[in-house]
Amino acid sequence: MRRLLAISVIATLVGGCTGDDAGCEFEPTLTVLAAASLTEAFGRIGERFEVAGPCVHVRFSFGPSDGLATQILEGSPADVFASASPTWMDVVVEDGPGIQDRVDFARNSLVVITPADDTTTVRSLDDLANVGAKLVLAAEGVPAGDYAREILANAGITDGALANVVSNEEDVKGVVQKILLGEADAGIVYRTDVTEGVRSQVRTVEIPEDVNVIATYPIAVIASTENLDQAGAFVDFVLGDGQEILRSFGFLPAS
Amino acid sequence: MRKTPAVFVVLALGGIALVGLPLVGLLTRAPWSRVWDAVSDPMALDALRLSAVVSIGATAIAVVLGVPLAWVLSRTSFPGRSAVRAIVVLPLVMPPVVGGIGLLAALGRRGVLGARLDALGVSIPFTTLAAVIAAAFVSFPLLVLAVEAGLSSIDQRLERAALAMGGPPWYVLRRLTLPLIAPQLAAGTVLTWARALGEFGATITFAGNLRGVTQTLPLAVFEQGQTDPGGAVVVSLLLVALSLAVLIAMRGRFLPSATAGR
Repeated sequence: MRRLLAISVIATLVGGCTGDDAGCEFEPTLTVLAAASLTEAFGRIGERFEVAGPCVHVRFSFGPSDGLATQILEGSPADVFASASPTWMDVVVEDGPGIQDRVDFARNSLVVITPADDTTTVRSLDDLANVGAKLVLAAEGVPAGDYAREILANAGITDGALANVVSNEEDVKGVVQKILLGEADAGIVYRTDVTEGVRSQVRTVEIPEDVNVIATYPIAVIASTENLDQAGAFVDFVLGDGQEILRSFGFLPAS
Repeated sequence: MRKTPAVFVVLALGGIALVGLPLVGLLTRAPWSRVWDAVSDPMALDALRLSAVVSIGATAIAVVLGVPLAWVLSRTSFPGRSAVRAIVVLPLVMPPVVGGIGLLAALGRRGVLGARLDALGVSIPFTTLAAVIAAAFVSFPLLVLAVEAGLSSIDQRLERAALAMGGPPWYVLRRLTLPLIAPQLAAGTVLTWARALGEFGATITFAGNLRGVTQTLPLAVFEQGQTDPGGAVVVSLLLVALSLAVLIAMRGRFLPSATAGR
């Protein structure tokens, strides 16, 4: 194991391919645009994918799915797009360069998080409508923001809760930040945003199943890619070995 | 007229392209057919109104606190003066997002000062005041630097003579010093206002993004840009036109122009 590590460290240092087949003639860079909620899981998947074999370097751009879709429409060089909502994949299909190999690869549920200390009165979803509770959501159009509003509507507390919103964050990680800093009383985020590093600093409040929303994550190769094989291989990896990694970060299987 | 070296002409044209091309890009991308809809969109109007309040408020704070500070830095000598000057300039080079986190750490609910304010029932983050403070934070150095430069450029013998003739210090300051630095003060004020108007990073971090409360024009452009780039371009052009109008109005009068520099 240590030798393997040493070899891979050396291989990385000399800038070569870290796989077994050390003789990569060239190593294309694969650009993967992925929803902010995938930051931790895809980071790990990228590391494993690079080690697993194909001569390719993966770089990620994490952000709100709506913003990433807009970047693709604007011609940003992207090989793979992983969205937190089918809506924004549809937009890329209709108005953008088109896609191939589209497949749903994960699902996610949402939870309410509050600061771990006792500064907040929020103990249940309905408490989000409490007078004076400071609520932070992702902005409208951002999948996490749209799902959150759907949940509030399902629970019949739209008016009360939206009146408590103090900020519409650019992406779901912005919501997590405001809660971690203790500036807001509650936020609605994906279950997977409560990562190991975050867990001890927030309190998680479950959303009743009958009002919760399950987010479906599609992934696809962008048709304009110049690295078709490697992009396809990455999607295959996400559907294969990647599934276990996604599970370990709290994602649900696609079906 | 002196002959201009050709290489300077080429590089100068490159400089113009650097700042001019994005503007041309915006103009080509704007959906002219629905400019009116985009500009009269309630979200854009709310943001415009809020941007006016926030940028003017921030400029007022910067002037009230900045002019005395510039005077102290320029006219007095005390240990650590250069350190103070360095700290004052810091927001110019610091990423605004870092400034926003710093403001939260100071004035947030768990902040050094904010925790005490919170105990008194005062909470600054997510309010319009927070947006004003964030904008003032990032633009303050421009005001101080401009005024300090003005104070350093005037002949201090004039002030000493006025004082020696028995002018009360406050009177000398008001009737002699301030009129002498008026051009620099005006230029600094305009630049401070323009910087405050464009402020984004510290605002979204410290004040959040809420329409009508903290969503200034740059934040509206960002939120809209995610879903409606065309509308965002129109709002951006509104922002550009606004700043440009003020900068042009001030040109020649206060900002350095072709004649003023000689």
